[in-house]
Amino acid sequence: MLNQATAQVVLEAALSTGGDFAEIFMEDRRNNALVLQDNRLETVNSGRIHGAGIRVYSKLTAYYAYTNDTTRDGLIRCALEAASAVKAGDERTQCAQLVARDVRNAHYVAMMPSQTDTKLKADILRAANNSARAVSDEISQVICSYRDSEQDVVIANSEGLFVTDTRVYSRMACQAIAASGSENQSGFEGPGAMRGFEHFLSTVNPEVTGRQAASTAVKMLHAPVCPAGTMPVVIGDGFGGVIFHEACGHSLEATSVALGMSEFCGKLGQQVAASCVTAIDDGTMPGEWGSENVDDEGTPTGRLVLIENGILKNYMVDRLNGRRMGMAPTGSARRESYQFAPTSRMRNTFIAGGSDDTAEMISTMGDGLYAAKMGGGSVNPATGEFNFAVNEGYLVKDGKITTPVRGASLIGKGNEILMQIDRVGRTMSMAQGMCGSMSGSVPTNVGQPFIRVKSIIVGGRA
Amino acid sequence: MQNFLNQLLNAAKEAGIEAAEAYIVEKDSFSVITNCGELIDYQSNMTRGLGFRGLVNGRMGYASTEAFDDESVTQLIKGVLESAQLCEDTDTEFLHKGDDQVPELNLYNPELDEVSAADKLAMVYKLDEACRAEDPRVKNGYNVVETSKAKVRIVNSYGMDRSFTENIAVLQAEVNSEENGFVSSSGHLVYDRDINAIDVNALAREAVKRSIDGLHASSIPSGKYRTVIHHDAMVSLLGVFSSIFSAESAQKGMSLLKGKLGETIAAPCVTITDDPLLPGGPNSRPFDAEGVASKAHVVVDGGVFRTFLHNMKTACKDGVETTGNAGKSGYSSSVNVKPSNFFFAKGEKSFDELLAEVGDGLVITSVSGLHAGANPVSGDFSLLSKGYTVKGGKREKSVEQITVAGNFYELLKNIRCFADDLTFPGSAMGSPSVDVGELSVSGS
Repeated sequence: MLNQATAQVVLEAALSTGGDFAEIFMEDRRNNALVLQDNRLETVNSGRIHGAGIRVYSKLTAYYAYTNDTTRDGLIRCALEAASAVKAGDERTQCAQLVARDVRNAHYVAMMPSQTDTKLKADILRAANNSARAVSDEISQVICSYRDSEQDVVIANSEGLFVTDTRVYSRMACQAIAASGSENQSGFEGPGAMRGFEHFLSTVNPEVTGRQAASTAVKMLHAPVCPAGTMPVVIGDGFGGVIFHEACGHSLEATSVALGMSEFCGKLGQQVAASCVTAIDDGTMPGEWGSENVDDEGTPTGRLVLIENGILKNYMVDRLNGRRMGMAPTGSARRESYQFAPTSRMRNTFIAGGSDDTAEMISTMGDGLYAAKMGGGSVNPATGEFNFAVNEGYLVKDGKITTPVRGASLIGKGNEILMQIDRVGRTMSMAQGMCGSMSGSVPTNVGQPFIRVKSIIVGGRA
Repeated sequence: MQNFLNQLLNAAKEAGIEAAEAYIVEKDSFSVITNCGELIDYQSNMTRGLGFRGLVNGRMGYASTEAFDDESVTQLIKGVLESAQLCEDTDTEFLHKGDDQVPELNLYNPELDEVSAADKLAMVYKLDEACRAEDPRVKNGYNVVETSKAKVRIVNSYGMDRSFTENIAVLQAEVNSEENGFVSSSGHLVYDRDINAIDVNALAREAVKRSIDGLHASSIPSGKYRTVIHHDAMVSLLGVFSSIFSAESAQKGMSLLKGKLGETIAAPCVTITDDPLLPGGPNSRPFDAEGVASKAHVVVDGGVFRTFLHNMKTACKDGVETTGNAGKSGYSSSVNVKPSNFFFAKGEKSFDELLAEVGDGLVITSVSGLHAGANPVSGDFSLLSKGYTVKGGKREKSVEQITVAGNFYELLKNIRCFADDLTFPGSAMGSPSVDVGELSVSGS
């Protein structure tokens, strides 16, 4: 990997045309992926991602270039490519002497993926597959996958920063399909962590993962289509937190806020959510899927209160957008790989536990929908319009859960929906997802306790 | 690179890998983005990636790298051996011998490579300026100019060595407009191999028009609506559901078209073609990810299902010829099945005539959240949508905050008519605007 002396030379080249800040991010990542399908291991694929991205700032513009030629000459060429676009006067910024800084590792790994026998990885997929198929004869197909990666990074910048870190990720997923001849329905579970293979021996039971995915698929196969309309909705814990992620989280990223493209611009200190809502973005939680030691700009990660009792407290800020906004970076800069310039992103983002009782929030809701399991979603931060899918839903009649329903989605506008939350349960839990945005796809946790939204548009069939 | 390749193929032979293949992608790309006259992103990149696969005892192993050092040779060989050893796939696997004739396609314009960064910057500022000059309600947005050049090469131990180079310029404007506190966001994208053929002002006009059209949109009551899906939204749907036509999906029980060859699966006006040779097609290519020469195929002919899309492995399993639809999701992925230029045939009516026929109903211009709200396994979709109502065959008022729900398999059967406005709005999917009959709308 990159040493200090080379990094120094490369950063100097990056500043040679008048840039006022330069940064290099180099990574060497080993990935493993396994797919089990049709009861057999179909794919075993290993790969090595290797390259560097160099960024030069000139005031509020960033110039980025990346390459996988990481020889000294290759990196200097890449630095000059980024620098060549800088239009500046005669003033030159000097690169500070690089000083290696220790990164304290908060995420203990017991079984490094590269040191773990691939056969063990295949075994957990077999376990999930077998337990999924045992749920019902109607399970027609099960696709289990496993991915791990060890990402070594070096991050250095012209202010003298030089840090190295290793990020270890492991995740499995199970998609089960139930079929009745003319119809298919699917269920999905995908637990993961910023940990090694021990996660699937000590914390996650692959059999339970398989069983849960299969049970959703079978329930949905026999469920009628969700009715359409505006109604109260109780959203379950864990992946239910995707509502905050889409309805609000993305719009609090400096990526949108700094450019005036968020509905939450200029609203710090104002009430943006019902007073029962407190939301946190925390990159420090040991071993969690969205955690880090340092972000992809080398800033130590942290815990950020986004909304406290309904009042907007903080945005998630990266270095460049921090310049634009006059705010300090919050350790939120992330990127999929060296092929992306970093920008502010969520980490482990959740609605904190409140004081309401889960049974009460359903029994007093009248007629509506209980969204037990959510799927993914998306948002346009400029307008706040969001959408997400309900993977397992139930109709509620007169405060009682009745039949399962399929094919539902929830839509709305972020600022409106946050004010509509009228119950927040006591126990928060989280679930894993991959979040896509400007700087690629990054691992994030979503989370919440059970919550209730007074009124939301439920997409179903009339 | 050539040295690395020789070293790798020799090492594979020594390691007892019976047949081996390297799939190499080299890509140069450049992009600039502005917002309100300010350059906010500038990128100039160069990458190479190599996907390696090999047959050991009839099983295919895979590995990949972006580093081209000795360590990578060792890693690739070890990766392929372990992968092939652990794989339990009993289907017959192949590497292509390269005994077919590859067509000549015009995918590369050397002049595009000569366009300077300064010229591309001037172009993005012009686009930015044109959008803001178009209407005072334009607030901000992303203006993008992007060029890329990619070379794909497949080399294997049977002596096949095939490559092609393509390049393209893409201009895009995403416009946020605002009036009385109401924000509307929309945009438009155009691509061409000749960057100077792109009309920047026309792009700005269309992007701004789409954004302004969405101002003061509102929801409509839930119910069933006679619906026309505009081509932009229809290609989004087709993109998600194209996997139902893949033999790989069918063989794995993920497509309800399994066992339906020769049957009527769609309305008589529905014809779907996969054409990798289409002039100017966004996904045109002389050969597929296995190196098999490209050919066009009619997949659905007048509503009748004629063929799945195949690669060599799925074709062998079904006892048919490959359709040349081997695909990869990037250089590192294993070979799967992917469409090339995949599109609904156009009809004869103009878009306006289609609306006149519909009379009263709804036009859907965009759908969001496809990765979550549309399920190719079941065919169900329930999607956040935008568009406008139609009264007496004319545009009435803008609509947002609705979902449109249905099932793709049913939708294919209910299609009443295609317009004549077939477009490929940037992806491999193409469609005209289409009258799909009634769909369920959830709204206020």
